[in-house]
Amino acid sequence: MKGRFEEVEHTADIAIRVWGRDMAELFANAAYGMACQLADPDEVVRTVQRLVELEAYDAETLLVAWLGELLYLSERDGCVFTDFDVLELTPTRLRASARGGPANDRRHYIKAVTFSSLEIVHTGEGYETTIVFDV
Amino acid sequence: MVQKSDFRRVDEYIWELPKDFRDDMRVPARLFGDAELFDAAFRDRTVEQLINTTTLPGIVKHAMAMPDFHQGYGFPIGGVAAMRMDTGVISPGGVGYDINCGVRLLGTHLEREEVAPSLRDLTAALYRACPSGVGGKGRVHVSGRELDELVTQGAKWALKRRLAWPEDLAHTEESGCLPGANPSEVSARAKERGRPQVGSLGAGNHFIEIDVVDEIYDPETAEVFGLWEGQVVVQIHCGSRGFGHQVCDDYVKKLQPVVEKYGIQLPDRELVCAPIDSPEGRSYYGAMACAVNYAFVNRQVLVMGVREAFEQVLAGKVKNFDLFQVYGVTHNIAKFEEHEVDGRRMKLCVHRKGATRAFPPGHPGVPEDYRDVGQPVLVPGSMGTASYVLVGTHKAMELTFGSTCHGAGRVMSRRKARKRIQGSELRHELEEQGIVVRAGSMRGLAEEAPAAYKDVSRVVEVVHGAGLARKVARLRPMAVIKG
Repeated sequence: MKGRFEEVEHTADIAIRVWGRDMAELFANAAYGMACQLADPDEVVRTVQRLVELEAYDAETLLVAWLGELLYLSERDGCVFTDFDVLELTPTRLRASARGGPANDRRHYIKAVTFSSLEIVHTGEGYETTIVFDV
Repeated sequence: MVQKSDFRRVDEYIWELPKDFRDDMRVPARLFGDAELFDAAFRDRTVEQLINTTTLPGIVKHAMAMPDFHQGYGFPIGGVAAMRMDTGVISPGGVGYDINCGVRLLGTHLEREEVAPSLRDLTAALYRACPSGVGGKGRVHVSGRELDELVTQGAKWALKRRLAWPEDLAHTEESGCLPGANPSEVSARAKERGRPQVGSLGAGNHFIEIDVVDEIYDPETAEVFGLWEGQVVVQIHCGSRGFGHQVCDDYVKKLQPVVEKYGIQLPDRELVCAPIDSPEGRSYYGAMACAVNYAFVNRQVLVMGVREAFEQVLAGKVKNFDLFQVYGVTHNIAKFEEHEVDGRRMKLCVHRKGATRAFPPGHPGVPEDYRDVGQPVLVPGSMGTASYVLVGTHKAMELTFGSTCHGAGRVMSRRKARKRIQGSELRHELEEQGIVVRAGSMRGLAEEAPAAYKDVSRVVEVVHGAGLARKVARLRPMAVIKG
């Protein structure tokens, strides 16, 4: 098992490769990887908790919807979410809680989570995917 | 893996990949560039993304990449593709998340020397008058009902609210209003995000720049555009903010199952699309047009912010501090236009993703007072380098559905740029050159460093040489404001 995520080269946008032993961990690590693009997670004082419930067409769409929901909450509440508990996950349904707080030093403004070559791959060790963010 | 040798050079600046290269290609792919730019296309996924674009149903002639191309998502950046109205598709991934990101150019009646003593104050005033940065709230707050009117009417709404001058509208692509906008196709969330952000710059590569016209290539056309050597001008680059991002996001998700419904096979899920002539296609177009109009108003409101800042700082110091709008272009859009295909005039859905419309002299889409010379094309360079004003051509209509480049185009990832360049040092370097810099974040400044971009002059030489637009004037920055 590698780390939680790594940044991969992209000429204009931001791309991260994410790993998880199971789908729940993949979803949590993807959200953490995104948080690291928004701010330094160590600087975030976690004072806010939000419950997210989503349904989607398939697992990839659910992943995009999950990260998109966090971006929306982040913009609306002026927070960055850094800790995640995936409470329920099927390929089309997610219930999770996210904790975070205000971040003074923002790294990037992410416009959106893209489907660019998006595919969740089952590997020997779990799951892996690469996500491109439009910045 | 596609190789350079798979391409055929059909012209000095045109490189073509035949459609038999991959089974799913419907038309050939064309890259515009000189030999060096062509090489650069193989250093990231530009070519693969361009090939993917050729597979979309109803695509005609070629899928094309303008010389400022680079890897994007779905289409490459610099991508142009036109689809037949009857069998073709419209793709949110072919427009992008920042729907109608674009550029305005404002002319002043001032020479560099008249502005130079007040440059720092002016930059500070612009920074205050034009809100920027992450989550920045805009100059204007609108109610839900007003937002529906705004996105339906575009710049006409701004005019009614005295946020535009009548002549601004005539000098904006589509007169600042794309027809067919349907707010009932826009999600409540997109509207919620859009309401507080009208008249805000955002972050990333968006900017406001005070420039000086430092070289004129075509004096007659420059005069028609109101440009002269030594003149101070202002560029505004921004888009449709959270409203547009959310519209794209909603439809890329919503259309995922639709692709299957219509039996469309896609090599990349970001290319998700729907037949133009389908309920889903019409629904996306109606929502996209709302985002297009939102962006027209957003830039228009910022134009008024720039005017306010100039008045605040320069009133009493100069004779005339007014700014007139030279033109406003859009970069990320899908539009219904008439073009000639195999000798027949056809209505097509032209997708431009990081590409500028470049209509020729005589075209009814060009403002009346510019119609003898053609449409102004605004090509901002990377920060601290040159920008160009070009003019549209008949050749662009023949070759690229009336399209040309939109900027310099990145060559280096943000990560590499951050490793190599310190934001504070870059700012110091720019200040040494006499360029005043106001930036929301030093990290953001480093990522947008000139070294991360292609040489805009090279890109412009290619479009000029290929006949996709003609050089009119060059601009040099005096001050840069970044979110």
